[in-house]
Amino acid sequence: MSEKGKSLWSDAWRRLKKNRLAMVCLGLVAFYTLAALYGEAVYQVYKAKDQTAFYQKTDLSQAYQPPSSKHWMGTDALGRDVMQRLIQGTRIAYKVGIVTALIAIPIGVFFGCLAGYFGGRVDDFVVWLYSTVASMPGLLFILAIAMVVGKGLLGIYLGIGLTTWVGLCRLIRGEVIKHKEQAYVMAAKALGLSWPRILFRHILPNVFHVIIVTFTLRFPAAVSTEVFMSFLGIGVVSEPSWGVMINSARMRLWQGVWWEMTFVTLAIFGLVLAFNLLGDALRDALDPRLRTEGS
Amino acid sequence: MRKFTSSFIIPCSIFFCLFLSACGRRELDTLRFKDEQVLYGQTSRFKGFDPVKVSDVASSAMICRVYEGLLEYAYLDRPYHVQLMLAEAMPDVSEDGLTYTFRIRKGIFYQDDPCFPGGKGRELTAEDFVYSIKRIADPKNASSGYWAFNGRVIGLDEFRASSSGAVLTDYSAPVDGLRALDRYALQIRLKEPYPQLLWILAMHYTFAVPREAVEFYGDGFINHPVGTGPYILETWNNNYRIEFVRNPKWAETGRIELYPSTGTQEAREAGLLNDAGKQIPFIDRIVQYVVDDPTTTWMMFLSGQFSYSTISRDNWSAVITPGRDLVSEMKEQGVELLSSPTLYLSYIGFNLDDPVVGKNKKLRQALSCAFDPELLVQYYNGRVTPVYGPLPDPLAGFKSKPTAYSFNLGKAKQLLAEAGYPNGIDPATGRRLELTLELGDAAPDTRQSVELMVGMIDKIGIVLKASYNNWPAFLDKLDRRQAQIFKLGWVADYPDSENFLQLFYGPNASPGPNHSNYANPEINKLYEQLRTMLPGPEKDGLCEQMVNIVIEDCPWVFLYQPMDFAVTHNWFKNFSLHDFPYTMTKYRRVDNAAWNEWKAKHGRAN
Repeated sequence: MSEKGKSLWSDAWRRLKKNRLAMVCLGLVAFYTLAALYGEAVYQVYKAKDQTAFYQKTDLSQAYQPPSSKHWMGTDALGRDVMQRLIQGTRIAYKVGIVTALIAIPIGVFFGCLAGYFGGRVDDFVVWLYSTVASMPGLLFILAIAMVVGKGLLGIYLGIGLTTWVGLCRLIRGEVIKHKEQAYVMAAKALGLSWPRILFRHILPNVFHVIIVTFTLRFPAAVSTEVFMSFLGIGVVSEPSWGVMINSARMRLWQGVWWEMTFVTLAIFGLVLAFNLLGDALRDALDPRLRTEGS
Repeated sequence: MRKFTSSFIIPCSIFFCLFLSACGRRELDTLRFKDEQVLYGQTSRFKGFDPVKVSDVASSAMICRVYEGLLEYAYLDRPYHVQLMLAEAMPDVSEDGLTYTFRIRKGIFYQDDPCFPGGKGRELTAEDFVYSIKRIADPKNASSGYWAFNGRVIGLDEFRASSSGAVLTDYSAPVDGLRALDRYALQIRLKEPYPQLLWILAMHYTFAVPREAVEFYGDGFINHPVGTGPYILETWNNNYRIEFVRNPKWAETGRIELYPSTGTQEAREAGLLNDAGKQIPFIDRIVQYVVDDPTTTWMMFLSGQFSYSTISRDNWSAVITPGRDLVSEMKEQGVELLSSPTLYLSYIGFNLDDPVVGKNKKLRQALSCAFDPELLVQYYNGRVTPVYGPLPDPLAGFKSKPTAYSFNLGKAKQLLAEAGYPNGIDPATGRRLELTLELGDAAPDTRQSVELMVGMIDKIGIVLKASYNNWPAFLDKLDRRQAQIFKLGWVADYPDSENFLQLFYGPNASPGPNHSNYANPEINKLYEQLRTMLPGPEKDGLCEQMVNIVIEDCPWVFLYQPMDFAVTHNWFKNFSLHDFPYTMTKYRRVDNAAWNEWKAKHGRAN
């Protein structure tokens, strides 16, 4: 009974709180999340009102204004406020990170669980499948899917989502192989529980930390890929994605129009760094081998 | 540890030394050619050297260095006219305007090439032109230049029909309207008068290629140019670098060509006639790098690696003062600014097959009234001029003043209400009307200009959604008539209003050049009259009539006519902007002394 009240999650949270860097990153992630939510609210309001959003309105007389009290991050080539567009870029980045995770994680978890639990031919098939997907150059695969679906967010969602489940699938498979020999699984089997119940009600919650850590690491990777694709002109085109903003900003960079490039780059840097450091800290916090340490 | 040092650290050190040495500034290859006149410049990606198969501007420029035709544009004369190139004299034209007889110059030889017996280039004959024009008609070549001969030359369409399918094209089959009367006489017989033929014969499609080379190289002919021109291809690294050298056959056969002695007063004042009567070509070697990014091109120009450059929109304000002059730093470096209007017109086209914009003239007129050309002028830093009709300046029928459907927001809103979309609201959905604008690329410049236009249309309450395609997908949509609205431009093939007005001729509808699929019997009738007419007041009157009808029907929104701007370094001579500049490289000159002086003063690489 000494372990009462010290579940994996509460213990992990207690240890995470002790990690100052992780908490700063968590704060940063919360800040980005708020910005994305604000961006989404603005987007939805204008969509519902059937009006063109203010961050899309052009005014050539305000083009290339440096940062000022009126425009904190300056304006772009068409006189639009860089900060407002940066916030919309955060919205798109979050959408991409979340939606691609929602595509990739279920696929990875489903195949990983089946392969780990059943082994044999099912395992052979899943290993063959993910080996085949992994053998294809990731970026080319993403670009091919995006080209087939067409320019825009849907192509990015599918392109990234359908190609990034392999890593998680491998991890889940390994974890499930470990867990299926554990006493609680043996007991569940002895009680005559069905395999879906054992797999998804009993084993899955015990490997959930792997999914969380993978999500925090996949999220910035998906955002980076989206930025890269939009920079190349095969991703988002009519929305203020960070990639689109960087591509536009580079044209006048050599003339000293630094603000758009700088703020967008800093935004990407902050988001990727925060998620990666948080992911690392979560991995440590959720590692059962470190659970007793310092407790 | 010692073993580790020898087996790992030493090879790694060598590798990194080699790696780092590759990172340093590379020596300009100008040093390799210091005793020659070398022209360094930028080029876009180009497809190859087969005159009948390629049509892009970059490829045309390459082809015209190696191949030659009967006629070419005069370099410094305005208005544009053609002059002799491989023709000995202007053609004898029959009274009915249907038969053209050319005499070909004697003593013109192809460059030496393994495709010829003994590797020695043979003399050019009239038969080469017969063969070359037949190649345009051969469907197996899928020539983009066939439009120029389609339905024009007696027997050529039949030759094309008989060459289709899997059968091998019989180039010895006679074509009644295309014959070599003797070794140096070429006769072209037409079905109807075709006053534009002389312009057509100055286009690269009709340039003479030797049959031996086509048959020797087969599909590889596009990569192995064999011509009579001033230069021959030396090396070509696809999508990276291309190098031409002076054609030695000219010196070997004693061929002499001279720099023009006539030109406009402006050309004379600019010193472009200083080399009049001197033997050309001046330049020994041309080196061009494939650079797609305008900023990179600009940087290479500034560092003296390129002799000339265009000025992109983003570099404009750093180079040009509000008074349209070069900034003082540029002037100090001896950079010169050149500008000239182009025979190009940019437009937004409506697909008249589309159920929304095609059947509603008021809607098209409303949209036309919503486009503010002054905003585009401002966006392009004044490098474009607004146009109010379908013809650019100075062609007959050009509209210099706003018309009934030029920018007027109040009128646009009124027309929109009359069109059935008050305040832009689509009664069918209760929301703003959404229209889709198809585009052929998603480059930052295109994207920004389109976002600007989206903003213009937003002011009358219509949502213009941009759909970005790659160029082939875009053309495919146009050809299949699937584009609702599209942004396109037209570069004159030759300086004649007819070349623009054909874009409104019904039978030219997609997949022809009339991508608006505009069909108006009155326009068709006028165009059929106009296309066989010689230049004159009567033809100008017909142009005016057609233009007025087109403006009223609004199949296009007329956007702008760009100005061509270029900058050159002071060592680069005889460079004048021209709408049809393809054969002009032979007139350029490089002053090596001035170049060396510049390098000593401003250069960094040397």
